[in-house]
Amino acid sequence: MQLSFFLVAALALSAAHLLRLPNRGKVWVASVAFLVGLLMTSGLIRGLADLNNLGRSTAFDRIVNAAVAEAKQDPAPLIVFTGASYSRNAIDPERLTLALREAGYPHRVINLSIEAASVLERHQHLEQFMRLSGRVPDVVFIETSQAFDTRVAFMFGNAKFTARAIEQYDLRTSLHTLSGLREGACQGVTGCAKDLVFLGLHTGLNLFNVGRIGRGEAAEEAGLETAWDPQYVPRAEVDPAEIERLSVATVPIPNWIQTYRQNLHRALQAQGVREVAYYQPPILSAEMRAYATQVCATELAEHVCFAPTDPGLLAQLNGPVWFDADHLLDAGAAIYSRWLIMRLLESDVMAAPT
Amino acid sequence: MIFTDVIFFGFLGAVLSLYWVLRGHEARLSLLLLASIVFYGWWDWRFLGLIGFVILLSWAVARFVAQRPIGDRQRRWALIFGITSNLTVIAVFKYFGFFADSAQAALLALGITPGWTVLHILLPVGISFYVFQAISYIVDVARGDLAPEPRLRRVALYIAFFPQLVAGPIVRAARFFPQMERRKTLTGALIFAGLRAFALGFAYKAGIADNLAPLIDPIYGDARIPGDTQLADWSNLALIWATLGIAGLIYFDFAGYSLMAIGVARWFGFYIPKNFDYPCSSPAIDDFWRRWHISLSSWLRDYLYIPLGGNRFGETKTYRNLMATMLLGGLWHGAAWTFVAWGALHGFALCLHRALFKGRTKIVHWIFGLICTQFFVLLTWVPFRADNFADVLTIWSAFFGLRAGGLEEVSLWVWCVLPLIGLDAVLGRFRATTKHLCAQFRQPIVYWGALGSLVALLLALYPLEAAPFVYFQF
Repeated sequence: MQLSFFLVAALALSAAHLLRLPNRGKVWVASVAFLVGLLMTSGLIRGLADLNNLGRSTAFDRIVNAAVAEAKQDPAPLIVFTGASYSRNAIDPERLTLALREAGYPHRVINLSIEAASVLERHQHLEQFMRLSGRVPDVVFIETSQAFDTRVAFMFGNAKFTARAIEQYDLRTSLHTLSGLREGACQGVTGCAKDLVFLGLHTGLNLFNVGRIGRGEAAEEAGLETAWDPQYVPRAEVDPAEIERLSVATVPIPNWIQTYRQNLHRALQAQGVREVAYYQPPILSAEMRAYATQVCATELAEHVCFAPTDPGLLAQLNGPVWFDADHLLDAGAAIYSRWLIMRLLESDVMAAPT
Repeated sequence: MIFTDVIFFGFLGAVLSLYWVLRGHEARLSLLLLASIVFYGWWDWRFLGLIGFVILLSWAVARFVAQRPIGDRQRRWALIFGITSNLTVIAVFKYFGFFADSAQAALLALGITPGWTVLHILLPVGISFYVFQAISYIVDVARGDLAPEPRLRRVALYIAFFPQLVAGPIVRAARFFPQMERRKTLTGALIFAGLRAFALGFAYKAGIADNLAPLIDPIYGDARIPGDTQLADWSNLALIWATLGIAGLIYFDFAGYSLMAIGVARWFGFYIPKNFDYPCSSPAIDDFWRRWHISLSSWLRDYLYIPLGGNRFGETKTYRNLMATMLLGGLWHGAAWTFVAWGALHGFALCLHRALFKGRTKIVHWIFGLICTQFFVLLTWVPFRADNFADVLTIWSAFFGLRAGGLEEVSLWVWCVLPLIGLDAVLGRFRATTKHLCAQFRQPIVYWGALGSLVALLLALYPLEAAPFVYFQF
């Protein structure tokens, strides 16, 4: 709750009280006056809210805040993992940091993942993390997965008209999403039409600041929440043997995501990120793992890219380590962390040990 | 589906368009009835049968009563049957659990273990409002204020008219039925009058009340989780600010919903009288009750206080009637002893005011009266909103510095609700001061520009998670 809320509420109250039956006038004058009033006031609110860093605070803000607090406490070089729920249950930053330090690397690992985060949303919050912490990560790991790469507007499937969905569709993100939808980064004609309509609505809601002042607060004031979300009890019965099934199926990698990744890669490096790398946490679906393998072998062949294809890793994950078909229990995360550390140490993604 | 929901705007837009496209008056009324059924069924279709029963009963009883001559025994019994049947509907669905729980507690206190299990019945939305309207119809017909309506669908539309179905204002039958006879014409005056009421109500409810609710709910119960922060953990100041917030929340929430109902009804060509008249500017408790929830207080006055004798039989009986009316008014708000206590406090204050200041209100300084009245009203919101008497005592103790206080603080900005209430009262009550400004607002360019700005402001205030309407529970 902010003073701005009361100021805007007082203005709205005054305007609502002063409304009376208007004198007759030309329709075009009324339309233009209405639009000017709407756009000017919306612009003014937006400007003032931006100036005061007021937004619709979301769970992701709390995750960013927790990450910022960690980054501020520890001046070590940062390795940031940005992903969706796959990563939230798989990347244990403390475990990885300890293992790296035992191996002589000073880095601190930060998990910056949240459920259903579209690629665009992850980027947005990575930028927020850098802005609020005043730190540029040494390495950024970007999760790749078929579910998100082929659905640019993944968010609309489960969180439409929420603060999180509205907050992310600013003009820049909306344009990116639009270019993705134009290339078919959506599911079927109905799915694409729905995504397009929702995109329009959410962009409008974002432009007109819906909910931005009412519940608005500076992102830093949203509280703290750690992204690492260990699970200990399965929520669904799965066949863990599925992890050892391999698929060689290939699917087209959308142009949109390739272009987006290239632009993001360049942008992050321009901001000072020394290394941008890619990964996918293990999931049971052989086809989705095959997608990650394909991406790492083709589009991202020149970059560090860890697909969960190692038979040794897969054999270890054939057991009671699954929360559900897409997410690991803590025991699975421990296995994956050991494997990930080995890959990290083998790769030249980090600067030399100290 | 509440008035601030996106889905309601779609529903309203569709019904309004169809309503004004239809040419036949009866067809329009039938559409309104159908829309009202859909609207109520949207909440919980299982209770459509209950409201249908209330409608049928009231229609039949009113017709029977009207057919019998005044003084006829059957007429009197039919009237009693109609009223008590309606009250039984509320008693069963709203108060059964309360009375059964109270009886159980009383028996346990006496050392008797009752051998029954209390059945907790789901409370149908708006039951207190539509049952009171149904009673109003039967009594108005019996009094001869209104001719009995032979068409069941008109009685159904009166009782189930969707703009005021779930939370009032309670409309008198004698005021509503004549409006159903008149063919409606869509005019600019009607559109803008509806828009004005709706916009102001939306600013109250969605702009202010819904944004205050998350600040206060952790203290006043709704968001309190066992094991989480408890009342004792909050500082005295936090409890005072939260009570101030509650006062603002209840006013803006309920007055906002009433205004939106008035605005929506206006768009269909119906006039619903105002329900609030800036009660936060009342300098005396009797004035407060002439301005707060006007439709309920006038209903209680006309159908309970006056039939009980009102002030016609001496001071003692007047006090008795006042107390009885306010106790029942308190109980109407909710099936809990805290509501009864709230009614009792207001009843006592009304009696005290009558005893001390009868006919001499003007000698009391306006500002002194305002401060005393509003402080009393503020204190009584505590039992109105708290879960139990222990919480009430804790919060009251905070007001008078009688408790040590915890460390948890609430946002200090809650105090800003005071200037908002003040601004609202100044702009609304003292229209003369805004007359010149209002004249400027009539210029098309200024009006439409201001309307655009208002829409932008309300969008920015729009709560992404709407708080439930406080009065729905009644």
